[in-house]
Amino acid sequence: MHMLRRDKKEEEEGGGNPFNNLDKTTVLQEARLFNETPINPRKCGMILTKLLYMINQGDQTIGSTEATEAFFAMTKLFQSKDPTLRRLMYMGIKDMSKIANDVIIVTSSLMKDMTGRDDQFRGPAIRALCSITDTTMLQSIERYMKQAIVDKCHAVASAALVSSLHLSKTSMDITKRWVNEAQEAVSSDNIMVQYHALGLLHHLRKHDKLAVTKLVSRFSKHSLKSPYAYCLLIRIASKLIEDEDTGTESQMYDFIESCLRHKSEIVIYEAAHAMINMKGVTAKELAPAVSVLQLFCSSPKPTLRFAAVRTLNRVAMKHPAAVTACNLDLENLITDSNRSIATLAITTLLKTGSESSVDRLMKQISSFMSEISDEFKIVVVQAIQSLCLKYPRKHGVMMNFLSSMLREEGGFEYKKAIVDSIITIIEDNSEAKEAGLAHLCEFIEDCEHTVLATRILHLLGREGPRTPTPSKYIRFIYNRVILENAAVRAAAVTAMAKFGAHCDELLDSCVVLLERCELDSDDEVRDRATFYVRVLKERQKALNSAYILNGLQVSVVGLERALHHYTLEPSDKPFDMKTVPLATQPITEQRTTPGKEPGDISTSKPSDKLASSRQDVYAEQLSAIPEFANLGPLFKSSSIPVELTESETEYVVRCIKHTYSRYMVFQFDCTNTLNDQVLEKVTVAMESSDGFDVMKYIPCASLPYDTPGTAYTLVRLPEDDPTNVTGTFSCTLKFIVKDCDPNTGEADDEGYDDEYVLEDVDVVVGDHVQKVMKPNFGASWDEVGPDNELEDTFALSTMKTLEDAVKNIIQYLGLQPCERSDKVPEGKSSHTLYLAGVFRGGHDALVRSKLAMTDSGVTMQLTVRSTDPNVSDVLVSAIG
Amino acid sequence: MGFLSRLASLFGFKKNEANILVVGLDNSGKSTILNFLKQGDKNVPVDTVPTIGLNVEKMKAANIEITAFDMSGQGRYRPLWEQYYKECQGIIFVVDSSDKLRVVVARDELERMMKHPDLERRNVPVLFFANKMDKRDAVSSVKVSTLMGLNEVIHNKNWHIVASNAINGDGIDEGITWLADVMKSNMATKK
Ligand SMILES: Nc1nc2c(ncn2[C@@H]2O[C@H](COP(=O)(O)OP(=O)(O)O)[C@@H](O)[C@H]2O)c(=O)[nH]1
Ligand SMILES: [Mg+2]
Repeated sequence: MHMLRRDKKEEEEGGGNPFNNLDKTTVLQEARLFNETPINPRKCGMILTKLLYMINQGDQTIGSTEATEAFFAMTKLFQSKDPTLRRLMYMGIKDMSKIANDVIIVTSSLMKDMTGRDDQFRGPAIRALCSITDTTMLQSIERYMKQAIVDKCHAVASAALVSSLHLSKTSMDITKRWVNEAQEAVSSDNIMVQYHALGLLHHLRKHDKLAVTKLVSRFSKHSLKSPYAYCLLIRIASKLIEDEDTGTESQMYDFIESCLRHKSEIVIYEAAHAMINMKGVTAKELAPAVSVLQLFCSSPKPTLRFAAVRTLNRVAMKHPAAVTACNLDLENLITDSNRSIATLAITTLLKTGSESSVDRLMKQISSFMSEISDEFKIVVVQAIQSLCLKYPRKHGVMMNFLSSMLREEGGFEYKKAIVDSIITIIEDNSEAKEAGLAHLCEFIEDCEHTVLATRILHLLGREGPRTPTPSKYIRFIYNRVILENAAVRAAAVTAMAKFGAHCDELLDSCVVLLERCELDSDDEVRDRATFYVRVLKERQKALNSAYILNGLQVSVVGLERALHHYTLEPSDKPFDMKTVPLATQPITEQRTTPGKEPGDISTSKPSDKLASSRQDVYAEQLSAIPEFANLGPLFKSSSIPVELTESETEYVVRCIKHTYSRYMVFQFDCTNTLNDQVLEKVTVAMESSDGFDVMKYIPCASLPYDTPGTAYTLVRLPEDDPTNVTGTFSCTLKFIVKDCDPNTGEADDEGYDDEYVLEDVDVVVGDHVQKVMKPNFGASWDEVGPDNELEDTFALSTMKTLEDAVKNIIQYLGLQPCERSDKVPEGKSSHTLYLAGVFRGGHDALVRSKLAMTDSGVTMQLTVRSTDPNVSDVLVSAIG
Repeated sequence: MGFLSRLASLFGFKKNEANILVVGLDNSGKSTILNFLKQGDKNVPVDTVPTIGLNVEKMKAANIEITAFDMSGQGRYRPLWEQYYKECQGIIFVVDSSDKLRVVVARDELERMMKHPDLERRNVPVLFFANKMDKRDAVSSVKVSTLMGLNEVIHNKNWHIVASNAINGDGIDEGITWLADVMKSNMATKK
């Protein structure tokens, strides 16, 4: 019985593929048959196919000894004249060239085949030969490669051209010598050869911009025969436009535009595609490209319709207006029998159409949702998400649609897209919050993806307690504790603790539930539960805020380094959390970028890995300089370097400010743009009348042409008055100049002192505070308490709108906006902004800014709370 | 494949077919000899380039279908000869009889070969060509035989040495005929 079941399963999985379930040892054993004479081409062909299949599947790794044995057995097949077997063998050589040893053994045999009489062996032999050849061996086949590139037989020439391109990766200096042959091949009358030759030619000159420019202008005039070559030329041209940032002004652009009138469809499409993807192109400039795509929409060829609608979809993301001209044609495509085309047509219309057409289109798409692949379902999800952001009033329809999609079958990527969308919508529109949370609760009841379940639980813990009826979420969360794996259980425990910490009426029942988790079989779950129960039982708001609702906000890399340091020098003093640098990137903020098309290659995924932040890197660099080793932990590095020189001057200097608890280090990144000078002993002299003392200059020893170097200035912060934190420095670049020979870089022995005036550097309040995200601002506000509270009212007469005011306040104070309060709801005349951070020295700083529109501008009531009275003072006076 | 020959191969009789391994130091004339064998009298001396790795040649000589594995003689490739020992029914070892300095190297290689587990116990006939006999400073085949120490190095195998000139083919046919005859009788007795 057991056997039977297993057979059935295998059958299902195999789907009739005779190569499924191949066993490596058996196949390698069978490969010994290659050694027998006479060769049996049919049998050997079959075995070789199995071997190739196995290598390409890659799930059974073949060791190099086994591979080498099979490879040498395979070399015996050179005696067979059977065409199928021979070509399989060439493929075998290519595929095994990277795993077997001594593969160069077949060099002469392949050279014989590539120059032989049998054309059908020559191309494959070239490809195989190039895959076994390294730079040292390449010299000995160079002569034959050159001949092959210009061979009469097109397949041979193409094979040689494409192989040369591959060889260029490792042996550019040799393949460069084949330029003349490639040149000759471009004038071939075969469209493939012409295309491949142009590809090689471009590749060989890729790094020489001038040569590439010449190449394009030459071939764009002398008309090429091959549409593929044209397409390539269009791509090269648009890359040039992008690199040089010349936009539509460029001659290249004229060429691309002229291709819209080419007779081949593929060229027309390529040109339209290139124009649409050009940076900063305006809707008006897009018009001709859009009109050719419009024509394609009614083509009888599905590929053309697909290409057109997919590209229009992309245009609609940035320039919906440019696509409205095609609305009629797109309407015709929403019933297209090809569902991919229909999906793209509908999602495009959703972007370009009016609010009133949304319901109709959604109905249309739901009629065939079950027929399209996950990849296209994701397109639909993303369209819905952007619709919700555009028409917030439609969130009801959309949310329902998303939740019904959530209930259907689908893979991880698809489900993740839906969850991402729902979360984005909730965060953007507070009216959608409760419905969204309800859908997500329902989803985690039956969710097989740990990542999604933990993510949703985290969201429930943050948002749930602050809804009108928090109690209804507890059941969903506690169910997870009973039913799920350890990772999900741990997340559920944390979420539950947050309800207990935030809602007094739920505290007792949450503690009871958490106490049950103290017996969990998993360490992490148990530890979390024990910790939370302990904290909750203290019944102190401040503890709840610090340890449950808002948690630690330190840089993980920094914490690791500080702990390591602490263990190196044992001391009786307890470890001080204040010495740990803060997380510079708020960890809770990770939004996905909507609007990726399926099949997009350029996906810039946000890396989830724990990377060192920029500041961690600075901290490391600075602590390596002996003079700065005793400054204590680095508190903050300014995020955007300040330019202290105008663009295109002799010297380029940028300043980055590093703040320590009592000092500041100014880092000056300098570049010398004069090729006939070497600068030495470069420093930046700083002067200030605001109570800051310059302590030390660390010069940059030598600054040769075009090689960046760094000088530092160490400054002590004013000590007498703790509220004196801002000031202005005048800066001068001082150095010794030595003239040098521009070609060799050799400098004179003698130099002379010189200096160069730089822009002023300001120290602002923002340099002393570090952003910290408080997921539950209210709890932190209570935690810090009113002891050091300061309040003042201001008239911000220069601000014209609430958005303006919000943007400027954030920038000025350098604090982190919380509770999404940086977004001003549309049509409101008042708004409250919540800001949080930590002041130099480790003091919490919280700001509540109530803003109201009046006839004369914006008025603001600013309330500041801090654990240190001076900090409140500094922040309030910063605005004045 | 016809019914009879299929039957024959089922019982282990192959048509008169044999794998021959052609070895010897680089530049001794292996490729040139094979070229002559392939082309017969129509031989147009091609300018041979040094073999990299191996070349596989098929030819008919002395009434036998021969698949010859022409190995490269350069130092770097010599260790790879052994990959082909197991399946060969005959060996041709080519010595440049005008290159007295390197005969000792050839002898070393021969010794190593004869001791290899894939050959040691097999009665594989070895044909030596004392090649380039036309050259002024060439030594006789007897002298080559002594320099190579054939009597001492080879114990359990049939061997034969022929002076040859690969350019005009002198001696080649004689050698091949000897090798083919031994291989044929080997095949007959084995089955
Ligand atoms: N004079 C002379 N030259 C020969 C003879 N056999 C080969 N050669 C030359 O020796 C060189 C090496 O020959 P080749 O067959 O490539 O040697 P391999 O490395 O053993 O394959 C070539 O230039 C041949 O023309 C021969 O019998 N007499
Ligand atoms: Mg050779």
